[in-house]
Amino acid sequence: MPKNNDSKVLVRLEGVSKKYQSGSNEIVALSGLDLEAREGEFLSLLGPSGCGKSTALNIMGGLLKASEGIITIAGEEMTKPRRDIGMMFQQAVMFPWRTTIENVLLPIEVFGLNKKDYVAKAEELLEMVGMTEFAKSYPWQLSGGMQQRAALCRVLIHHPKLLLLDEPFGALDEFTRETMNQELLRLQSHSGSTAVLVTHNISEAVFMSDRIAVMSARPGRLIGVIDVPFERPRKPELYGRPEFTKLVVQAREMLGLA
Amino acid sequence: MTSTAADVRSRGKELRKQSKSTTQSVIVGTVTLVVFLALWEILPTLGVLNRVLIPTVSDTIWGLGQLIIGGYWWEDLASTLSSVLIAWTIGVAFGITMGVVLGTSPFVRTAITPYAIALQALPKIVLAPVLIGALGFGPESKIAIAVAICFFPVWINTMVGLSLPSAAEFTFMRSLNATRVQLFRKLQMPSAVPIVLVGMKHAMLLSFTGVLVAEILSSASNGLGKLVKEFSIQLNMPLTLAVITVVLTIAVSLVSIMDVLERKAVFWSESERGKKS
Amino acid sequence: MSTAATSGAQATLLDPQKKRRKVSPYWITAALFPAILLVWFVVTQLEVLHPILLPGPEAVLTSIPRVLGSETFGIHASRTLIETLAGFALGAAVGFLLGLLLGSSSVLRAAYLPALSALEAVPTVIIAPLIIAWFGFGIEGKAVQAAIACFYAVFITTLSGLSLANANSVSLMQSLGASKLQTLLKLRVPSALPVIFGGLQLGATTAIIGAIVSEFVGADAGLGFLLLRYRSSYDTPAAWVLILCFLVIGVSAYLLISFAEKRIVFWRSTAVSRPDLEKNDH
Repeated sequence: MPKNNDSKVLVRLEGVSKKYQSGSNEIVALSGLDLEAREGEFLSLLGPSGCGKSTALNIMGGLLKASEGIITIAGEEMTKPRRDIGMMFQQAVMFPWRTTIENVLLPIEVFGLNKKDYVAKAEELLEMVGMTEFAKSYPWQLSGGMQQRAALCRVLIHHPKLLLLDEPFGALDEFTRETMNQELLRLQSHSGSTAVLVTHNISEAVFMSDRIAVMSARPGRLIGVIDVPFERPRKPELYGRPEFTKLVVQAREMLGLA
Repeated sequence: MTSTAADVRSRGKELRKQSKSTTQSVIVGTVTLVVFLALWEILPTLGVLNRVLIPTVSDTIWGLGQLIIGGYWWEDLASTLSSVLIAWTIGVAFGITMGVVLGTSPFVRTAITPYAIALQALPKIVLAPVLIGALGFGPESKIAIAVAICFFPVWINTMVGLSLPSAAEFTFMRSLNATRVQLFRKLQMPSAVPIVLVGMKHAMLLSFTGVLVAEILSSASNGLGKLVKEFSIQLNMPLTLAVITVVLTIAVSLVSIMDVLERKAVFWSESERGKKS
Repeated sequence: MSTAATSGAQATLLDPQKKRRKVSPYWITAALFPAILLVWFVVTQLEVLHPILLPGPEAVLTSIPRVLGSETFGIHASRTLIETLAGFALGAAVGFLLGLLLGSSSVLRAAYLPALSALEAVPTVIIAPLIIAWFGFGIEGKAVQAAIACFYAVFITTLSGLSLANANSVSLMQSLGASKLQTLLKLRVPSALPVIFGGLQLGATTAIIGAIVSEFVGADAGLGFLLLRYRSSYDTPAAWVLILCFLVIGVSAYLLISFAEKRIVFWRSTAVSRPDLEKNDH
C-alpha cells in the first residue's frame, strides 16, 4: 500500500516513559517518546538492545503500563489489550498440544467467537502461506520458519487494525527470514493493517518500512524518523539500489555507527 | 533414569521463595488459622464432633504439657531419633557408593535402569515385616528397614547427578587431557552435589518413615511410633495428638537443617537461580 | 542437551574403543536377571542370611501357586487395590484442585504455602494409628491414609507446573486479552501436565505405601494384613510371594501412568521423571 500522508493517525504516543525500580536504582527504559503510526503504514522501531523499542511495543499492545504519557489507538485511550491488535513475538509461540489450525484459531476461542465461522478464513490464510498440508500437523513437527508462517496466520485471523511485531523472524536463519519478511509485507498490504515492527537490523528496517523511528539506548529515546520513499510491493532488487544504501548509511549515522 | 521423588519434593522450597507475603496474605493466613483453631475447639466441645476421638485444641495442648512434664518418653524419643540418624547415615553412604559405582559409566547406568525403575516402583515398606521377623524387635530391625527405604533416592540422584554435565563440558575436559579421575572429581562430582543433597533430604523423610513403621509394627520395641500406637489404642487422643505434634516438629526441624546445609553447600546454584528469576 | 546424547558423546570420549564395542547395554540388563536369581540361590544355599529373612528363589517360586491360588487371595488383593485406587483418586483430586486454587491466587499462595509445604517433611505414617482410631479397620481409613500420603506430590507438582508456562505464551494470551480462567485452562494447565504426571507417578507409589502401612496398623483384610499373617506363622516364602505381588502392583502403576502420560501429554514424551529428555527444550 503506497504511503499516504493524508491518511488518519491510528496510534499516537505522547511523552511516553517507562521506569523500573531495581533495588534503590531507577532504570529508565523509555524516555519521553512521541510517535505516531498512520493507518495502513509500515513503521519500524530501530535501535540497539536496551533502547526501549520492545518496551514501546509492549506498551502499545497493552502488555505494559506506561509510567508517564498518553497512548491513543483509533482515538481511544489505551488501557488494556484490545481485540483489534495482533502481536507477534520472536518465538512463534505455538501451543504444542494444538494442531496448526487450532493454534491459528486460538484468538477466536479466546474472544469467545464461534470457531466454525472462522475455519474457512484460517484455511485460506494457511493456503496463502503455503501451509495447507500442515494444517493438521503439530508445531513440533514443523520447522521454525513454518511455525512463524502459522503464527503469521494466527495474528491475521481476527483481522486486526494494528500489527505489533517484535522481531518476529529474529530467531530464523537469514534466508528464511528474508522470505518471511516478503510474505509479511504481502499479507500486510493485502489486509490493509497498520504494522509496527521492532528490529535491530538496519537493512531489514529500510526494506520493510514506510518510516523508521531510530532510537538510542540508556535512556531509551527517539533520535529521529527516516522516511522511506520506495514504491510497493518491495522487491529484493531494492537491496542493490544506491538510494537504499544511502538510507542505510543515514540510519547508521543516526545510530552513531558510521 | 528417574529422579521423580527428589524432583517433586524439591519444588516446595522453590515455590516458597517465589511467593512474597503481603499484608493481605498475612491477614488471610491468620484468619484461616484462627477459624480453624476455633472450630477445632468449639465443635468437639458442643458435641458436633466426638470429643473422645477428636479432642479440642486445649485438650491437645494439655496433652502436650502432660507429655513433656511426664518425661517417661525421653527414652522413646532418643531411640527414634538415634535410629533415624544412624539409618540415614548408613543409607546415604550406601546410596552414594552405589551411585558412584553404578553411575559413573553410562553403559552400566543404561543397563541397570530397568531394575532401578522396578525398585523405585516397589513400595519398599513391605520389606518391614520380613526384616522384623528376621532381626527381631530391637533397633537393628528398625535401622535395617529405614536403610532399605532411604538409600534409594540418594542412589538414584547420585547416578542422575553424575550424568548431568553436558557433552560440551566433557569435551572441554578432554581437551585439557583430563584423566578419568579428574573428570570425575572436577566435573561430574561438583555437578552432582545439588541433586545428591536433594536426595539426602528426601532420605531423611524416608528414614523417619521407616523407623516409625518399624516401631508401629513391632510390639516389643520402644519409640515414638510405638507411643502413638499405644495411646491411640487406649483412645487417649490428647496424648496421641501430642506425640504426633512432637514427630511433626522433629521432622520439620530435620528438613530445615538440611535446607540450611544445602544452601551453604550449593551456593553457586543458588546464585544462578537468583540471576534467572 | 539430552543425557542420552551426553552419555553417547561421553562414552565415546571416555572410551575410544566404544565404537567397536557393539554390545547393547540391554543385553546386560537381560543377563542380569538370571544372575540375580543365581546370586540369590547361592546366598540362600550358603545360609549367609537368616532363612527367615530370605528363603531361596526355588522356595518362593514354588509358593506362588499356593499363595495366589488360596481362596482368600482375591479378596485381600481386591481390598488393597480398592483402598489404593480410592485413596489415590481422592488425594490426587484434592491435590490438583488445591494446586489450581493456590496457583491462581498469589494471596492464597503466600498465605497457605508455608504451612502446606511443611508437609514435604512430614512422615505421614505417624497419623496411621489416629486414622484407624477414627475410621476403624474398614476400607475408608485405608483410603484416607493413602490419600494423605499421595496428596502432597500432586499438589506441589500442580502448583509448580502452573508457573512453568512459557513467558512468551503468557504474553500472547495477555495480548489477546484472555481472562485469567482462559489462560489457566488453555495455557497453564496443559503446560503443567508433564510435571503433574511426575507428581502422579510418585503419588501412586506413596498411595500404595499409605494403604499398606494402614493395613499394618490395623485391618481385617488386604495384602498388607495377609503379609503380617504369613510373617507371624513364619511362612517366609509366602511373605516373599506377597512382596513380589507388591512389586508387580508398583510396576503396573508406573507403567499405567507412563502410558497415560504418553497418550495425554503426547506433544512431549518428557516429564519431570525424565530429566534426561527434559533438558532437550531448555
